[in-house]
Amino acid sequence: MARLFVDTDKFSDGEGPPIVDAYHSALKDLVRRKFDEAGGHWNDFVFGKAQELITAKDIEAVEARLLATGHRFTVSAMISQRERPEAYKAVAGNEDAATFSFEHADAKVEAVDAQGREARGQGDNVVQNAKNTIGVARYFRNNDNVMDCLNNGVPDNTIAIIDDSGGTLTAPILEKFKGVICAGGTIRSHLGILTREYGIPCLMNARISGIREGDTVEIETSGPAKTGEMYQRGEDGSVRIWKHVKK
Amino acid sequence: MSKKEFSYADLLETNNLLQNHGEETYWLCVTRTVQESKLFPVSAYILLSYLNAFYRWPTLLRKIEKHMPAERIADRVRNATTKIETIGTGWCLPNFYLLGREHLINMGMIRPQDGLEDVAYVLDFWKRYSLSWRRNEGHISAREANHRCQIYPERKLQVFHADQYACEAGDALHTAAGKFMAATAQYGFLASCECRVSMTAHGPYKMADNVEMLVRNFYDLSQSDYPWLDGVADDIPYNCLTVTTSVKDTHFYLVDDWGSFEAKPDYKAENICGIGLYTSDPLTETHVPVGMGSREELVKTFEDLAEKMREANTKLWRRLATFTRDQLLDAGALVYYSIIKDIAHFAGCYEIDDWMMIDERANRFRGLLNDEYSNEVLGAMLVPLTLPSSQVQEYFMMLHGNQARRVYTPFQYALLGKDDYVGTVGGMRPGTSTLPKKVDRYRTSQGPLTNAEFNARVKAFTPALASDKFRDLDETWVKYHYDTPLADEMYKIEQQYSRKLKGKGAGLRRADVEALRDKS
Repeated sequence: MARLFVDTDKFSDGEGPPIVDAYHSALKDLVRRKFDEAGGHWNDFVFGKAQELITAKDIEAVEARLLATGHRFTVSAMISQRERPEAYKAVAGNEDAATFSFEHADAKVEAVDAQGREARGQGDNVVQNAKNTIGVARYFRNNDNVMDCLNNGVPDNTIAIIDDSGGTLTAPILEKFKGVICAGGTIRSHLGILTREYGIPCLMNARISGIREGDTVEIETSGPAKTGEMYQRGEDGSVRIWKHVKK
Repeated sequence: MSKKEFSYADLLETNNLLQNHGEETYWLCVTRTVQESKLFPVSAYILLSYLNAFYRWPTLLRKIEKHMPAERIADRVRNATTKIETIGTGWCLPNFYLLGREHLINMGMIRPQDGLEDVAYVLDFWKRYSLSWRRNEGHISAREANHRCQIYPERKLQVFHADQYACEAGDALHTAAGKFMAATAQYGFLASCECRVSMTAHGPYKMADNVEMLVRNFYDLSQSDYPWLDGVADDIPYNCLTVTTSVKDTHFYLVDDWGSFEAKPDYKAENICGIGLYTSDPLTETHVPVGMGSREELVKTFEDLAEKMREANTKLWRRLATFTRDQLLDAGALVYYSIIKDIAHFAGCYEIDDWMMIDERANRFRGLLNDEYSNEVLGAMLVPLTLPSSQVQEYFMMLHGNQARRVYTPFQYALLGKDDYVGTVGGMRPGTSTLPKKVDRYRTSQGPLTNAEFNARVKAFTPALASDKFRDLDETWVKYHYDTPLADEMYKIEQQYSRKLKGKGAGLRRADVEALRDKS
């Protein structure tokens, strides 16, 4: 079989992450086969015959072979799993939103304090506010959650718990939140930028445990804001998240 | 087709540009945050856009330069609000293209030397454009300027300075401007499919001992190039807006080619102490004030525009919630790929098929672009650079990281005098899109126009400041000729819409302008 230019590489030690290794190895095999099939010089092949011979169907077959091994893809955009549930792993919490909670292993959990507050995690404060922010925890993890509030209104005192640090999933309702706990990103993420612009108290990069839909939560937004320099120095600087325990 | 002859010096320069872009890309990716979304398949669309750029941009840039050279387009752009500045041309133009190349190298689809003429041309286009756009500060990139972007000439800064309304936290103008910027940023992220290319910032500009100005720009807000904004953004009266923001007691020590900024002490909106609002496009002479007739008018304008942004934001979200993954993928890929489309608008040669389609050569790879592969390969290609093409000899220590790695594969000098490369990917091939057909209606400063009308008007229009008479009268010329009728004439063109400086000419210094400002 033909050898590709990149088959000789003194310093390469593999293709990187496993799925990339699987795909790129298969693609290179495909290119070798098609180059053999075409014959002639690479210079005539690369932007000539290769463009006709290496087809979308060939490339789709690469994915089909990986799925046939039992591999299922990790989801980023919810639409991917919704359209192709057979190709993507299920998303935890989609089935039973009422009992779902994020369970981050590094969430700092402490016993109930004198004010009836149970520490259930921490996050990076985007802006230092005069007071802590108290509200009702509500998860927003997919379009359905957002559409429901768009049609029926965002309940008062909502502290949105979101695992998407982007600025688009909750775009039409973000302004209505009392606060945001985002289990991802940094203060510089799009969601961090937008909450700062709107003046909505927000913790990014939150690690939490045991906070469920409807719980009363308090976020320590009176604490110091995390700065870009703190990220660069590797400083924690996070503030606390409590759940109010019913008496 | 005969190949271009490359000299040793040609390859040295091309490789230098490759290395500089790679190092800055790595630094930006390490110091900035990961872009993610539950709504859009972000990494997938980014990869598709890079491939599309690799296959199409060389041809399209050559087409544009048949109408106007890169450096002269940049002369016009320096005097306008357009996407082809810090983020669009500062970083995306070279790097989207080069990342498409690097992806293809790692898939075994091309050798590093395939497309050599294209790569050299794209980087040369970028170099000429960037040197021209940044000519007032004399740098080629924000990186070379130690992360500053001081683009504008004195004449424009004086107008921005003079006409700004003072404000302070809690007053009506400060509040309205803040709400406008929040709503516009929110809508911009959505209209641009989660990416931040709908906004950027440049500066800082020194307004007083304790005051610096950042110029914040917002783009592609109205019904214009994006098919998904038809019926959503028709009522937004401006496609591009510029907000001049003066900030007290804050030093912007970093403004990069992503339009990000860092300040000491940390930037706080409450420190904004002066605001102005402008629009412009390829059909305007210079920045045109929006709602700047009085403080009250500006407050009302910010409030009205914020409401229009909110309405468009909600309509657009409802529309996008019905899109298929392929449609979301195409929309995001086209936002990224078309980041430099305004170059074609300024040259008067914009065509939908050029800028709002996925080339069949790139579209072949759609079947690869599931969420997991896309996230992993994009990450590996940028940080931590684990793909094979990034690995180099072990004694090397890369800038910012010290690893034996690099972002972009240089060209071998062993190619000199040999024929073992392919110059170009070739011309345009048919494109495809799963999106609704674009309505032929483009919001401009002269009202809604068809694509053909827009191109024709641009071709027929030469801004006076971009004419032979004025375009080369730069800051050094002004320094030694400010007292001439020609300098006065040039300044008066810039001042024509100014509330405070109209007709004042070229003789004012910064303190004179400050003295002319409204005091409350």
